[in-house]
Amino acid sequence: MIFFVIILGCILGVVVGINLPVISYSYSGYLAIAIIAALDSVFGGITSVLNKNFDIKIFVSGFFGNAILAMLLTYLGEKLNVDIYLAAVIVFVGRMFVNLSIIRRYYIDKWDKKIKSKRQITNK
Amino acid sequence: MKKSGYFIIGIICFLMTAGICVQVKTVTTWDTGPVVQSMTENKLRDNVLKAKEKYENEYKLLEQSMEELENLRNVAAKDNTDAQNMEKQINDANILLGLTEITGKGITIELNDANDSELAGNLNDYLVHDLDLVEVVNELFNAGAEAVSINGQRVVFSTAINCSGNIVKVNDEKIGVPFKIKAIGLPEKLYGALDRPGGYLELMEEDGVQVKMEKSDDITVPKYEGVYKTEYMQIVE
Repeated sequence: MIFFVIILGCILGVVVGINLPVISYSYSGYLAIAIIAALDSVFGGITSVLNKNFDIKIFVSGFFGNAILAMLLTYLGEKLNVDIYLAAVIVFVGRMFVNLSIIRRYYIDKWDKKIKSKRQITNK
Repeated sequence: MKKSGYFIIGIICFLMTAGICVQVKTVTTWDTGPVVQSMTENKLRDNVLKAKEKYENEYKLLEQSMEELENLRNVAAKDNTDAQNMEKQINDANILLGLTEITGKGITIELNDANDSELAGNLNDYLVHDLDLVEVVNELFNAGAEAVSINGQRVVFSTAINCSGNIVKVNDEKIGVPFKIKAIGLPEKLYGALDRPGGYLELMEEDGVQVKMEKSDDITVPKYEGVYKTEYMQIVE
């Protein structure tokens, strides 16, 4: 069910996104940083589901809050002539890797257990 | 998890993929080559793109009005032989001024910088310069070419060909290698004039420049896209 919802959302997003108008080039930097923040939230959400402490309120507030904060920081950086968005990219992508490694460990553990239990069955 | 949770996750996936699509589309549409890191630079680029778009829109409008004008002239000249003659004169003048796209037989010449592997000695000899283009265009007109264009820029009486760093400016438009020169005229004559031993093209080829020349029965030369402006000249009384 959850995968069905995710895939449906993604397909709808692609269909609508392709038909949306192109944004001005100077805003594409903001959108890029918002996308990275959103991706970070999604991976964080998947990790928390695996850890069984998923909370929809935290997930949604993180999704929008991080994206908006990242955009505001980018704007501030532009005003101060410092590329602050680089810091946001490093933090978000770093967290993405951490979350990915947690997801990876979880599935590899699961797989290992499956193989072991199969072996036990065949040994018996 | 409740039903509303699924719904929210669906919406979030939707938002994210839509955002990614818009971003990809934006980046590919503006096609700016290498990735730009600085936001201020992005702003400048944006301004340039906007100005360009504006210019293109204005030019389209101008073209439309020209078409309308022509239609009106046609209608006005319908029942009047004097006006018809005038109309014909205007059309002839426009053709001579390069304000119409024309087609006919002629030749095409392609000039390109020398291959890297052959490089030795003076680097300048291996590049196609503005003066090379001037020489070739001169030769073409000398051989009776009626219309010449370089990379889509029509050569008219007010055309200037100058050097602008690693590119060449024709009609104030920047163009770069490979230079495709189209000329309308008697193909044999044009070809012979440029292909003659000791001619300019042969000298360029000896220097390593890649030269390709072809006769053709069907060449289309684009029209001059600039605007003629006269400020100081007056008819002698």
